[in-house]
Amino acid sequence: MLDALGVIGLGLLGLSAVTLARRYQSWGGTMMAIGAICLLLGRLYFILAPHFLNEDVLVAVGPIGIALTMALPPLLLTFGLAGIVWGLWGHERWVQEETR
Amino acid sequence: MKFVNALPIGSIEAMRPVFMIVMGVFLMIIAWRLCKFSEGWTARLIVAGSLLLGFGYALMIPLYEAGIITRYSPSGGHLGSGASALAWHVVTLVVMNGGWLLFGLGLAMHAKVFSPSSSPRKLAPSRINPPREFTT
Repeated sequence: MLDALGVIGLGLLGLSAVTLARRYQSWGGTMMAIGAICLLLGRLYFILAPHFLNEDVLVAVGPIGIALTMALPPLLLTFGLAGIVWGLWGHERWVQEETR
Repeated sequence: MKFVNALPIGSIEAMRPVFMIVMGVFLMIIAWRLCKFSEGWTARLIVAGSLLLGFGYALMIPLYEAGIITRYSPSGGHLGSGASALAWHVVTLVVMNGGWLLFGLGLAMHAKVFSPSSSPRKLAPSRINPPREFTT
């Protein structure tokens, strides 16, 4: 339930970032959109992983796949957050320049 | 292991929590700067969401990683008291998801996702037409 709220919020964030990027051609919006998508992917993985990740899947994807399942989601979460913060910074500077 | 009891600041395992702390603090600062001169619910939503997220990322995730808060698992088997672990789990869920929800809602309102695009001129890419709340 709460996870759904978080995913909805992230989706809204990505949507608004894409809108900002399209309307103002600001690189902050693009950065934020990339970050939001990364974060959304990682979050969805963490929510959905217990439902489909079992021994068969792990055997099927092989050792490299197992390493990826362990390494990729935290990387996605970390760099997604970085992208969002970076994009927000760029957008904030853009807003300051516009209003000055 | 020799370093188990040492506080692992600066090591590779501590890099992600430290990164999270820096990002959470930056998120709060930038959101505050963005909404400093603006009024209304958009700014309030963005600031509230960023405060929740900053709390979550800068405080709770490092505490989890440092092992001060034990992770909650439904099957039991965690050290410490299960009730406090469950309570922290609930707090984490609320803070993270609520924070992203508020932040996303605020940013969506800032980007005017919800407002009807009846007149196509409003949606045209123009620099004369900045977001309404952020003009001083």
